[in-house]
Amino acid sequence: MIKNLRYVLLLPALVFALAPVYWMLTISLKTEVDQFASPPPWFVFTPTLQHYYDAFVTRAFGQYLITSAVVAVTSTACALVIGTAAAYGLARFQLPWRLNRRLSLWILSTRMFPAIVTAVPLFLMMRDVRLLNTRASLIIVYTAFNLPFVVWMMHGFFADLPRDLEEAALVDGDSRLGALVRVVLPLVAPGLAATAVFCLIVSWNEFLFALVLTQTDAAMTLPVGIAGRVTQYEIKWGVMSAAASVAIVPILVFALALQKYLVRGLSLGAVKG
Amino acid sequence: MPKSRRFFNAPRRRSKHELLLPALFIAPALLVLLALSIYPLIYSITISLQQETASGVKWGLGNFARLVSDNFFLTAMAHTFVYAAAALTCEFLLGLGLALLLNKQIRGRGLFRASLLVPMMLPTVVVGVVWRLMLNPNFGALNGTLKQFGINTESLTWTASPRLAMLSVIAVDVWQWTPFVFLVLLAGLQAIPQEPYEAALIDGSSRWQTFWHVTLPLLKPSILIVLLLRTMDLLRVFDQIFILTEGGPGFATETISLYIYRTAFRFFDFGYAAAMSFVLLALTNVISAIYIRFLQAKEAA
Repeated sequence: MIKNLRYVLLLPALVFALAPVYWMLTISLKTEVDQFASPPPWFVFTPTLQHYYDAFVTRAFGQYLITSAVVAVTSTACALVIGTAAAYGLARFQLPWRLNRRLSLWILSTRMFPAIVTAVPLFLMMRDVRLLNTRASLIIVYTAFNLPFVVWMMHGFFADLPRDLEEAALVDGDSRLGALVRVVLPLVAPGLAATAVFCLIVSWNEFLFALVLTQTDAAMTLPVGIAGRVTQYEIKWGVMSAAASVAIVPILVFALALQKYLVRGLSLGAVKG
Repeated sequence: MPKSRRFFNAPRRRSKHELLLPALFIAPALLVLLALSIYPLIYSITISLQQETASGVKWGLGNFARLVSDNFFLTAMAHTFVYAAAALTCEFLLGLGLALLLNKQIRGRGLFRASLLVPMMLPTVVVGVVWRLMLNPNFGALNGTLKQFGINTESLTWTASPRLAMLSVIAVDVWQWTPFVFLVLLAGLQAIPQEPYEAALIDGSSRWQTFWHVTLPLLKPSILIVLLLRTMDLLRVFDQIFILTEGGPGFATETISLYIYRTAFRFFDFGYAAAMSFVLLALTNVISAIYIRFLQAKEAA
């Protein structure tokens, strides 16, 4: 009885969570006639890939997609290298003046600023150095944005790691750097991968900085491209849904890979800024 | 997050070399953050102290003085609080309910869990698109389906209606972020050991008593953390509302982040926008400090 009640309550939640996303997928596959049909055809319609063609071949969404991918991958790589080094330094060396703890907390606190607070000055700074409407501006900003997250995630993974292993390597005559590359990094590889995926998701989903810093077709990311279409006077619903549906794909693949680390990462504010 | 332990052996005599190495590891990160988090804040302070006037730039607290008498700013603040309070309440209650329902081993649990997480993984822009399509008064799936059940949808224009727009954007936030509350609380529930429950069972406590006296107190740290994180995000909300309503119709859903954006990037009044952003920053800092104090009180108890 209680058990059945559970399902009675859970099934509507499931439908409520998934139906809107499903509806968008159907719009991206429907002809204009079916899009505006009443009552709404949830299941029976003639599918077409026309909107995907329009979005990614006729319009510039293919370019936005490439920009999104380049920016996400490059900024993630930069944040990982810089952040992992800092995390290792903070986790494995005893610094004077209780700097380990102080620096860690300070680094994390920079992540807590509301995005709009830094968006205004960053826009002006990027304008001053003539980097507005470039991929470089987004790569730089996202690297800084992901950095505190990388430091904290990797700090945790390094701290969980027994130190005997690398000390053995040090005794064997390996240098610090050698021990790090040959012994420590392979051991934290799963954590490193999870951290990377979180950064990729954040950069891929990010909207406000991208909106502020990029307004040209050559530099804008997928979210900004989609948003630009939404707020125009005449909206091409099919094209927009097609672009949005494509934007979801990498996220869903990543999310599956992340199940195990989800709570830890999300508690540090991954996924959204 | 693991507590900061002492990672290193008893402090040894430090040579210059031993301080140089950690500095090389840590310095790049510090430089990046100084340049792109701290410098922008300082930059922001300086522009917030400048006002453009006909006779040139005037320094002072003028931008901050304007805040008090700016009805748009005060209304945007009020909207932000209404939005945050309503969404936080709904997300917490629904998320807790779902976590309790899924805390038992039931058939299809993995599927439920994975599916419920979909909304929160989506880019916020996509969430905006999804709900534009659902809520559109003319061909949206929601009104279309309601019509099939014989409900008159004439007045249900959702995001286009001054009366329903706020309700709509709150509902969309609840849709997207209840899964997050659910996930954190479920993890919290699963970390609770079995013994207190067995003790409660022996004492003959009712289900309700067990929930109130055992589950809730033990879940408190998770609850506080998730409320803290949600509050921070809700106070700074921008993306979904920008896509769904752009703050409209009129000013009906304009929150503080949207108003700052409009001031800076539509009216190009960067000084005033910077001044407002410091109010938002101070607000989020005060609220997070209060939460953290509660958290530490719990840890000490």
